[in-house]
Amino acid sequence: MIKNILVVDDSPVARKMLVNCIPKDRGYEIHLADNGQDGVEKFQELKPDVTFMDLTMPVLDGYKATEKIMGLDKKAIVIVTTADVQPKSISTVMELGAFTLVKKPAKAETIEEALAKAEQKISQG
Amino acid sequence: MNTEAVSIFSNDEKEILQEIMNIAFGNATANLADVIDIYVVLSVPDIQVINIGDLPEFINNAIDANGKTVIVDQKFRGDFNGSGFLVFPQKTSDDLESIFDDENNDSYGNNTGAAREKGVLIEIGNILISACVGKVSELLNTFVTYSPPQILSGDSNDENSWLNNFGPNQAAIAMQTVFKFHKQDLKGFLLILTNQESIGWLRKSLNDFMNSYE
Repeated sequence: MIKNILVVDDSPVARKMLVNCIPKDRGYEIHLADNGQDGVEKFQELKPDVTFMDLTMPVLDGYKATEKIMGLDKKAIVIVTTADVQPKSISTVMELGAFTLVKKPAKAETIEEALAKAEQKISQG
Repeated sequence: MNTEAVSIFSNDEKEILQEIMNIAFGNATANLADVIDIYVVLSVPDIQVINIGDLPEFINNAIDANGKTVIVDQKFRGDFNGSGFLVFPQKTSDDLESIFDDENNDSYGNNTGAAREKGVLIEIGNILISACVGKVSELLNTFVTYSPPQILSGDSNDENSWLNNFGPNQAAIAMQTVFKFHKQDLKGFLLILTNQESIGWLRKSLNDFMNSYE
């Protein structure tokens, strides 16, 4: 069962848009990180059930952050949220171990759908 | 940078615009990747609002064009009204032409030299500008119509003549991105220039867009 969610995005606007798309009636605890490095550190500290990850970020981008997180926990669920939907970007991040990819701008139904898939994976162990 | 121009947008509005341009340019590069085997490394979007008069120095500093640039211009009309400019150093445009030719050998038939280069640049400009402006329009619940893209003169003698079409106090929304392909880093600029009337509409639409997420 999903309890903790980490949102990694350098844009305060994108973070707000995504957080507002996450269902509020499920008691999720939501944490924020504003770049990939911060995201990796918060992942280690908080062990979130689901991590939403932007790709284009300063300090450490979402590709490297996803790779590091998957290196820390191969069962980590990283949902990439990005405006960069070039085929090569998608294939690269999926090869790094991302669970799925949600195209920006975030929409409530697609976020809910991704969380349902994540919930299913967690319940299957 | 002109203080008056900077104050056109509040910090919140600039952040919303930055995210919208990030989404729009991501959409545009994916469209370009459908046409040619080019992978565009997206930089963290850097939105700057600057006066038209400050643009030449801004561009030259940013892309190190050494005075020789190629500019593709496409005008758009509607609530969101202005021009999109794709600005490359001459060297970048030559490389883009060779990449495009590799992918589209049949498309240009017997056309050679200047006609082919012009066709390639216009096609790339059309894809990037219309996809980017179109996505901004879609996200802000409006639509625009486009003029055919055209190439503006960019030689060192009259490199800034294209700016004469704009008033000196007009604001430009400038976004820089890095084009990377075949292990080369090639810089280009996508500039969206709007008039004062559009900026009023844009500010309201940015706030409406964000309010839809409340």
